[in-house]
Amino acid sequence: MKFKTALRILSILIVLAIAWGLRARALAMLSIDFDEDDYLRAGQEYAHLIRTSNWSGFLEANYRPEHPPLAKIVIGVSLLSAPEKQLTPDRPTTAEPNQYLPRDLVRPARTTNAALGWLTVALLTLINPLAGLALATHAMTIKYVSQIMLESLPALTSFLMVLTYLQFKKNHKTGWLVASAIFLGLTAASKYLYCIIGIAILVDWFLAAKEDEKIQPFFKQAIFWGILGIVIFFAANPYLWPDPLTRLRESVFYHAGYSTSAEEVQRSNFPFWQQFNWLVFSVSFWSPDVFPFTVDFLIVLFAVFGVSNLWKKERLYVLWLGLALLFLMFWPTKWPQYLMILMVPLALSSAEGMTRAWQGIASAFTNWQKNKIVYKKKETRQAVAWLVPGLIAFSVLTLLPFLFQLGVSITDFNSSSIRDGFQGGIWREVFGGLTGQIEATSPEYPFRSNEVHYTGFSGYRSIFDFITINGVFVFNILWMIFSTGLQVILGLGLALLLNQRGVKFSKFWQALFILPWAIPEFIGALLWLNIFVPEIGWLSLAAQKYGETFPLNFLIGWEDSPNRTLLVLLIPAIWYGFPLIMLAASAGLKMIPKEVFEAASMDGANSLQMLRHMTLPLLMPVLLPAIIIRGIYAFNQFYLFQAFPFNYQTLASLSYNLFNPSSGFGFAGGQFSVSAIINIITVIILIGLVSLFNREMQVREEFRNA
Amino acid sequence: MRKISISRQILTQGVFLLVGLFILIPIWSTVRLAFDGSLRGRPTTFTWLPKEFSLEAFLNVLDRPYQSVEFSILLRNSMVVSIGAAVLALLLGVSLAYAFARFRFPGQTAGLFILLLAALLPPIAFATPLYIILSILKIRATLIGLVIVYAAFAMPFGIWNMRAAFQAIPKEVEEAAYLDGASHFQSFLWISLPISLPSIAVTAMIAFLMGYTEFAIGWLFVDKAANVTLSMAVYALVNGQFSGAQPWSYLGSLAIIMSIPVIIIFIIFQETLMERLLFQETS
Repeated sequence: MKFKTALRILSILIVLAIAWGLRARALAMLSIDFDEDDYLRAGQEYAHLIRTSNWSGFLEANYRPEHPPLAKIVIGVSLLSAPEKQLTPDRPTTAEPNQYLPRDLVRPARTTNAALGWLTVALLTLINPLAGLALATHAMTIKYVSQIMLESLPALTSFLMVLTYLQFKKNHKTGWLVASAIFLGLTAASKYLYCIIGIAILVDWFLAAKEDEKIQPFFKQAIFWGILGIVIFFAANPYLWPDPLTRLRESVFYHAGYSTSAEEVQRSNFPFWQQFNWLVFSVSFWSPDVFPFTVDFLIVLFAVFGVSNLWKKERLYVLWLGLALLFLMFWPTKWPQYLMILMVPLALSSAEGMTRAWQGIASAFTNWQKNKIVYKKKETRQAVAWLVPGLIAFSVLTLLPFLFQLGVSITDFNSSSIRDGFQGGIWREVFGGLTGQIEATSPEYPFRSNEVHYTGFSGYRSIFDFITINGVFVFNILWMIFSTGLQVILGLGLALLLNQRGVKFSKFWQALFILPWAIPEFIGALLWLNIFVPEIGWLSLAAQKYGETFPLNFLIGWEDSPNRTLLVLLIPAIWYGFPLIMLAASAGLKMIPKEVFEAASMDGANSLQMLRHMTLPLLMPVLLPAIIIRGIYAFNQFYLFQAFPFNYQTLASLSYNLFNPSSGFGFAGGQFSVSAIINIITVIILIGLVSLFNREMQVREEFRNA
Repeated sequence: MRKISISRQILTQGVFLLVGLFILIPIWSTVRLAFDGSLRGRPTTFTWLPKEFSLEAFLNVLDRPYQSVEFSILLRNSMVVSIGAAVLALLLGVSLAYAFARFRFPGQTAGLFILLLAALLPPIAFATPLYIILSILKIRATLIGLVIVYAAFAMPFGIWNMRAAFQAIPKEVEEAAYLDGASHFQSFLWISLPISLPSIAVTAMIAFLMGYTEFAIGWLFVDKAANVTLSMAVYALVNGQFSGAQPWSYLGSLAIIMSIPVIIIFIIFQETLMERLLFQETS
């Protein structure tokens, strides 16, 4: 026991040291970013007021008044130790970052923010050292807490608000409730965005009250909590005192206006899922050399697998994460620093994911050791005769090409070096490189050298950064989810409708509905292309003619909007994909014995209840493998994206276009090794998806045999 | 279960009508395009019906749809490539499928996983290395090259499905043959193969369709007009219509001609095809 405690303390100390080391490095090395000049100027104003003891000045000072002053006042306090300098010039929000800020002011301001960010890590580490480690190493977080931004303070106070609330939930002591309300007020006085966490608290609180059937006291306490929070907010916000309502209104409405009309927001034209792109974004792209390593992607990956365990442990964190993501999807402004509102639950979820992965590996290993199957020697010998011819063919056509691909991926092989490659250059470089005779050259894209060079595995990192930074990766995953999800909704819905008793013409409708499936996929894509091409397609022309006011107007200029492009691409994908799900669901429905429903309807169950509690649970084991296969097809979708050359790519079409020596659409073609790396990344992702399919097939077999 | 009420019947039919419209929109749009004789380049106005009904586009694409290559040559290339690929894939794969279905041997589970993974990989993941290997062998741009590539796509899927077909045959049927002194090969040839032939035929059909409808990899490999297949020609028409070289009606008519046989196959074999394409075990 003692040893465990010591280990825990040691790991906490290590995490804290890592957290500070990375933040100290970042605050010294990061170049000046957007907005830092503004908040520095605000801080300078407050520092001047404090120096001259001009306390009434606080009533009027609030540079960039759309944000409440508390975080800016903290910056001001941190500047007191620095010499007083001329005020940073006032510039429009569209201006490029001002690189000439005085370093002796930037440094204390950044250090204060980084210290607050470090305190958040420290709190989290006390709860869960692994989560602390995730937050400590998350590069996007390091960046935004180590610059003169307004994120560190509200991130800390909002976390404190949640922690004190959780204490209150446990022991119902009013002291904790008061503390939570105080932190709510301080959070609101630092940055409005973080108040979304307060909403997550209210949801959790309400759910807890409902479970305990204590709705009445909940309302009283919640109102007390809210009012106290507002009081603190006003107390910490001297700028509001002279004219509360007007100034509050101005600052709140600024954000609504900014998000819909500001030039920089319009110009960036981000898709609604942009925050997911920021989540897997490699910050080293902006600031090379600042971060010794970036593991943001891994943190997110583990977080995806940890959510369910986190829900079991503490629902509030998942609510926090979910509400924040939902809000960020709908909020039109998509700056990456907004992610700071959800870093704490993300880190916690990631820690759960890591634990789960570790347990999974451990149990798989013990299972493997336990269940070693004993094979009969005779049977194996008989099998060999059958295996050999097929294995030769399979190796030549499938395995060998794959190994070749692995080899190409660690070189810079491209269409210019094709001659050298064919004459043994690939083998020479791969063999030489792996045996250490040839040194790796660092890759420079696009590859154009006419000799093959060994590049080592550094290409993987840069290509992975490439597909996460330009959004292909996230788009591909979201595409799989949206397209499969919508296919399932339509396909399952139609199957249920078609299989109702006594539906007229059901044979005719079913025959019509499977028609898209019978049309070759690429022809289907071309049919829809003929409809959607801007200014030429059938419905695009119809939209020009009739659609200004009614239903087709989303087709006018769809190619300029990332969100509408997604919609336009989803329509053919659903059209093509739902019939297969419909057929699979129909086949599954026929397997469910009719007596089950008759018994239920005798017991007075209505059709919605039967659907939820009987049809779907009975259907799911049969349908889920089919859904996963459809998901894999959607993930690999190629012909649709090849036919629609607008904005978006999947990994498959990207690999094709980067490979094709004569590809158009602004691609640098003939990049054989880049394409090979993308294919290998695809294989790795598919290994995950196919394992999922295998597991569901086993469930299905058990279900069938039961 | 009670029959549904009238209001629910009406509602259901309404939903069906909407979905039916959704299904028919692109089909009708293409039919309208294919029969429109007034088009010289791209369509400029929205019309419900063809402006001038004409079969000109059909006659043109049935003559020389792509450059100066005759339709019959394209069709022949398509048939050579897709039938060749299907036959090759199944011939090369059948022994492996039988081994996985009939015997238990070390590495079986891992082998099945690799098989399934290979069957679900996007074609491009095979195509890139094959492009280089076949270039070295100097058969990249030939029809034989295409047969090999398409066979490589179809083989993992073919093996997986033939395995399922063999597995569906009860082991006892073959064991009876052993008692009569037949060897494994004989019992395979005279018992398992004939019983599972219908199932294998469906697999062959899917392998055939893979080659018949593929165009992108084809365009990557082939650079001679004489080796172009039908679906490659359809895709070439897309570029032709964007550059204004051909009227938009050509694409529509060739797409319709190409799809009709596939639609017939799918309507006839829908249940079986559904099971195969979803990797379900044959029931």
